[in-house]
Amino acid sequence: MSAMLELEKVTKRFGGLVAVNAVDLRFEKGSISSVIGPNGAGKTTIFNIITGIYRPDEGNVRFEGRSIVGKRPDQITELGLCRTFQNIRLFNNMTVLENILVGAHTRTPSTAWGAVLRTRHFKEAEEAARQEALQLLRFVGLPRGLGDQLARNLPYGQQRRVEIARALASKPRLLLLDEPTAGMNPQETESAMRLFRRLRDELGITVVLIEHDMKVVMGISERVSVIDYGQKIAEGTPEEVRKDQRVIEAYLGRSAMVETAAVERSRP
Amino acid sequence: MSTQIAPTHRFRQLFRGPLGVLLTLAYIGAITALLILEPRSLLWRLLLFTALALIYFIPQRPAVKVILSVLLLAIVVPTVGLRNPFLLEIGFQVAVFATLALGLNVVVGFAGLLDLGYIAFFAVGAYLWAFFGSQQLWHLNDPPGTFSIYPTFPLAAWWFWIFIPLAILAATATGILLGFPVLRLRGDYLAIVTLGFGEVIRVLANNLDKPINLTNGPQGITPIQRPPLPPFLTSPEVLATLSGWAGRPIGLNDVYGFFFYFMGLIVLIVTIIIARRLEHSKLGRSWTAIREDDVAAVAMGVPLRRTKLTAFAIGAAFSGAMGVLYASNRTFVSPETFSLTASISILVMVILGGLGSIPGVVLGAAVVTLLNIDILQTLSLLLSSLRQGNEVIPLLGVPWKNLPTQLDPARYQRFVFGLLLIFMMIFRPEGMVPAERARLELHESEEEFSPEVKLEGDAMPEEQPVD
Amino acid sequence: MRLRRVNPIKEILRPLGQLLIFVIGSAVIISAFVLLLALLLRPTRTDIDIFQVSLILLPQVLIDGITLGFMYAIIAMGYTMVYGVLEFINFAHGEFVMFGAFAGVELLIWLNAQGVLRTSEMWLALLWLVLAVLLGMSVGGALAVSAERFAYRPLRGTPRLVPLIAAIGVSFLLQDTMRFLQSAINGDFYRTFPEFGPFAQRLTLFSLSIDERPINIAVQYKAILLISFAIIMLVALNYLVNATRLGKAIRSVAQDQRTASLMGIDVNRIIALTFLIGGAMGGAAGVLWTFRFTRADPYMGFIPGLKAFTAAVLGGIGSIVGAMLGGMVLGLLESFAASYFSIFSRGAFGAEYKDIFAFGILILVLIFRPQGLLGGKTTQKA
Ligand SMILES: Nc1ncnc2c1ncn2[C@@H]1O[C@H](COP(=O)(O)OP(=O)(O)OP(=O)(O)O)[C@@H](O)[C@H]1O
Ligand SMILES: [Mg+2]
Repeated sequence: MSAMLELEKVTKRFGGLVAVNAVDLRFEKGSISSVIGPNGAGKTTIFNIITGIYRPDEGNVRFEGRSIVGKRPDQITELGLCRTFQNIRLFNNMTVLENILVGAHTRTPSTAWGAVLRTRHFKEAEEAARQEALQLLRFVGLPRGLGDQLARNLPYGQQRRVEIARALASKPRLLLLDEPTAGMNPQETESAMRLFRRLRDELGITVVLIEHDMKVVMGISERVSVIDYGQKIAEGTPEEVRKDQRVIEAYLGRSAMVETAAVERSRP
Repeated sequence: MSTQIAPTHRFRQLFRGPLGVLLTLAYIGAITALLILEPRSLLWRLLLFTALALIYFIPQRPAVKVILSVLLLAIVVPTVGLRNPFLLEIGFQVAVFATLALGLNVVVGFAGLLDLGYIAFFAVGAYLWAFFGSQQLWHLNDPPGTFSIYPTFPLAAWWFWIFIPLAILAATATGILLGFPVLRLRGDYLAIVTLGFGEVIRVLANNLDKPINLTNGPQGITPIQRPPLPPFLTSPEVLATLSGWAGRPIGLNDVYGFFFYFMGLIVLIVTIIIARRLEHSKLGRSWTAIREDDVAAVAMGVPLRRTKLTAFAIGAAFSGAMGVLYASNRTFVSPETFSLTASISILVMVILGGLGSIPGVVLGAAVVTLLNIDILQTLSLLLSSLRQGNEVIPLLGVPWKNLPTQLDPARYQRFVFGLLLIFMMIFRPEGMVPAERARLELHESEEEFSPEVKLEGDAMPEEQPVD
Repeated sequence: MRLRRVNPIKEILRPLGQLLIFVIGSAVIISAFVLLLALLLRPTRTDIDIFQVSLILLPQVLIDGITLGFMYAIIAMGYTMVYGVLEFINFAHGEFVMFGAFAGVELLIWLNAQGVLRTSEMWLALLWLVLAVLLGMSVGGALAVSAERFAYRPLRGTPRLVPLIAAIGVSFLLQDTMRFLQSAINGDFYRTFPEFGPFAQRLTLFSLSIDERPINIAVQYKAILLISFAIIMLVALNYLVNATRLGKAIRSVAQDQRTASLMGIDVNRIIALTFLIGGAMGGAAGVLWTFRFTRADPYMGFIPGLKAFTAAVLGGIGSIVGAMLGGMVLGLLESFAASYFSIFSRGAFGAEYKDIFAFGILILVLIFRPQGLLGGKTTQKA
C-alpha cells in the first residue's frame, strides 16, 4: 500500500519537555484517520510538525514518498497538504470570500504586474478564483450571500466551515483537521461528519482528524492512532483501539481532566 | 451609536441628486471667489481643501465625483494659484507626502509592518537625482564650501525623466536589501531596526563629504536641475498673457510651480490607482492575511518573507519616485529633510487617516502637510508680527515683544505629532476614515463599524505555541 | 519560581562580581583586538607609529568607554525591566532620562545662583550632586508612572504595535513639552551643567614610559564618581529584584501575569512600580549624563535611549544581568570606534560613524542572535 503521509521516529522538544517522542505514523491514500489522545498529549504539535510550522528535532516526515522536513509551511501547502486550526484562525477583518481566496493563493496564477495593469489574464484568473471560492462555499454548506460578510461576524459553527473551505481552496490531496467539531452541538457535529465523508468520497482527499468526540472518531475513521505524553500508545481500527488496555488507562487515568476539558470546549 | 451617526447621515443626504451637485458647485464657487478676493487668507485656503473632502463624502456617482474633483484640482486651484503661487506649492507638497504616505500605508497599513525609517527611501531617490542632476560629479575631490557654481551641468536636464524610473529601481533595491535580513524580526524589533536604518542613511548623507565628496555633507547639494519645460510654455508671449490674468508678473519660477503641481498630482493619482489595484489583488490579500494572522497565512501557502519583501519594495518604490521630483522642485537637498521627525510625520499621516485606508491616508497626508507647512507657519508669522508691536498678551500681562523666539509654533511639530499619535491610539486607532468603512461604502451600506485595528506584523517565532 | 531564602550579602556580592567580570572581560577582549589590528597595520604607515599611538590612547579610551558603558547599563534597566514585565518597548524611556537631567541641572543652577555651590570641599559638592541625582530620580520615576497610567495602561491587551506607536507619541510629546517649558521660562531650550566642586581634578593612578616618553595614567574624579554611582544603583536594583518581596512580585508578573494575579498580586501596581524603578534609574542616568557631557537639551535622551535599548537587546532583553553586560560592551565598543576609526582609516572616517556602529551592532544581534549574548533558549526574565 502506498502511504500518503508517513512520520518516522519524529521527536520534538520544548526546553525540557518532550512534546512528541519518537512517533511513527502512517496515513494511507484515500483514508479517513483519527489521531486521539488526552489534552496536552502532543497531537497539535504533530500537525505543526507535518505542516512545517515546527521543525522536528529528530525523525522524518514523508509526503507522497518525499521528505518534507525543512520545507517552509507555504511550500508544503503548495505540495498539496493543508490544514485547519484547533482555535479557528480565520483572517477576521477579511470577508469570507477573501479568506477562501487567500487559501487559493498557491493556485491563483495572477501576478502583481497583472493586477496593476489589469490585464485580461489577471481578470480571468481572479474571476476563476472567485467562482471556485463560491463553489467551495456551497460545498461546505454555506449560503453564497455569506461571501461578503466579515469573517469575525460569523457564528462559530460557520467559521469552522469557512476554515475548511479556505483549506480546500489550496486543492490539497491531504487535509489535516484539528478538532473540527469542537464546540459544535450534536446536529452540527452530525452534518460536519457528513462533510468529512464527502471530502474523501467526492473530492478524493485523504483526511486526518484530531478529535475528542468519540462519536465522531468511531463513526467515520477507518484507523485511529492514540497519542499519550508524546508517544504513540496504540493504533488500529476503532474497535481495536477501543479495547486496548493502555488506551483505557490513559483515558480513565485522566478522565476527570478530559471531562472538564470537554465542558470548556462546549462553551467556546 | 445611531444618535452619533444621524447628523452626519442627514448632512450627506443634503448632497443627494442634482441638487447636491449644485450645492457642491456653489460651495466651490464661493470659496473660489473668496480666494480670488483675498488670495493670502489661510482660512479660505483651508476651506478650499474641505471642498475636496466634501466631494469625497457626498453620495454621488463616481463619475460625478471625478468631474467635480477635476474641476477643483485642474481648474480652480491653478486659477487661484495664478494669484497666490503658494497654493500650488501646498498642492505639490500635499501630493508628495500623500504619495509617501500611500507607500508607507502599503507597508504598515496593508502588511502590518511598522517601518520607522521610511523616509530613507525618499532620501535615496532625492539624493540620486541630487548627485547626478547637480554639479556634484565635478566636486568629488573638493571639500564642501570650497567650490563655486558653474553655468553648466555634467548631465543635461532632460535626464530628470530617466532618473524617475532609476530612482524607483534604486529605492526598491534598497528596500529589498534592507528587508531581506530584517523582515524575519518580530514587529517591534523591526520598528527599531528600521528606525536605526533611517538614522544610518541620514548620518551617511551628513558625513559622506569625505573621503570623497558624495553628498556635500550637512550643507547639502544645490543647485539641482529642473526638467526642461516645453518652449511654448516659457515663451515671452505666454508669460505676458499669464501676467495679464494674474495681475502680477509671471516668471519662469511660476511656470515651474504649475509644472510641479501637475506632476505631483499625476504621480499621486497613478500611485492611488496602483495602491487600489494591488489592494484588491492576490498580493493585497496576502498582505492583509499576514497582518491578520501570519501563522494561518503561511499555512495557507502565503510565502511570508517574499510577501513582506514585496510590501517593502513597493512602498520604497513610491517614495523613491517622489524623491526625484522633490529634489528637483527644491533644487536643493540636505540631510535635515530626512530626519526621524519626517519619518514619524508620515506615520502620523497614515495613522490619522486610517491604517490601510487609501482615502484616509490621502486625507491624513493633506491634514498633516497643511499643518506642517501652512498652519504652524502662519501662526509663527502671526506671532512674529505681534512681537513687532507693543501689545500685551491678554491674561498674562506680558508684552508680546518679550516672548522668546524659541516659542515659535513652527518649532513644535513633534508636540503636535506626539499628541496625535497618543490620541489616535487610545481613542480612534482605526483613523478618521477607517479601512473597513471605506470598504462598506463601496457596498452602499450605511452601517457603522468601529473595528479594532489589527496591527500585528510579527514574523513567525519558531517556538510560539500554535494551535 | 522557587521560594528560597536569599542571602543578602551574596545578593550584593554577586552583581559586583558580575560587573567586575563584564568590565574586565570586555575591556581586555576589545583592547586586545584593537592592539592586534594596530600591530597588523603598523607596517603600512611610515608617518606615525600606529601601535604606539594606539597604546597611548588606550587608557583614556578605556575609561571613557567604561563610564559610557555604565550609563548605558543604567538606562538599559528601564527598557529591560519594562520589557520583562510587559514585552513592550518603552520608546519614551530616553525622555524620562532627559526630564531627569533637566530636573537635576535646574536644581544645581538654582543652587549655584544662591551661591551654595561655591565650595571646594569634595564631600559638600558630592552632597549637592547626590541631591541632584535624587531629584532626577524622582522626576524620571514620576514621569514614567504617569506615562504608564495615562498612555500605556489604556492600551494594554491591544496588538503589540499599538502601544509602541503611542510610546513614540509620548516620546515626541515629552521632547517638545520640555522644549516649550525651557523656552518659556529661560528663553532658550538647553541648559548647561554648572561647574562646581573639585570634580574635574585628576587622580594619577600610575606612571609609565613608552620609548622614554613618560605617560601618566590619570582619572578624573568625575569618572570615578560616575562609575561609583552606577555601581551602587545597579547593585541596589539587583538586590531589589532578587532579594525582596517586591522583586519577587515583579519576577512573577514577568513570568505570567494571569497566574500572578491569581496568586493575589496586584498586577497593575507591580507594573506601575516597574515603570517607577525604570524611570528613576533613567532620571538618575540623565543627571549623570549631563554631569559628564555638561549639556541638557530636550532631544538629548533619544540617541542614548536607542543605544541603551541596543545594549539591552545585546545582553538579552528582559535580563538585568544581560543589560549590564550589553551596556558595558556597547559603551566600550563605541568609545573604541570613536577614537580608533579615524586613526585606522587615516582620517577618512571619524567619530561621526559611532552611531552607525551602534545601530549596526543592533541589526546584527537581532538577526543572528535575537535572544542576546546571555539569553539562553528561553529568555531569562527580569
Ligand atoms: N511552542 C511551544 N512551546 C512550549 N511548549 C509547547 C509549545 N507547543 C506545545 N507545547 C507543549 O507541548 C505539549 C503538547 O501540546 P499540544 O498542543 O500538541 O497538545 P494537544 O495534544 O494538541 O492537546 P489539546 O488536546 O489540548 O489540544 C503541551 O504540554 C504543550 O504545553
Ligand atoms: Mg491541540
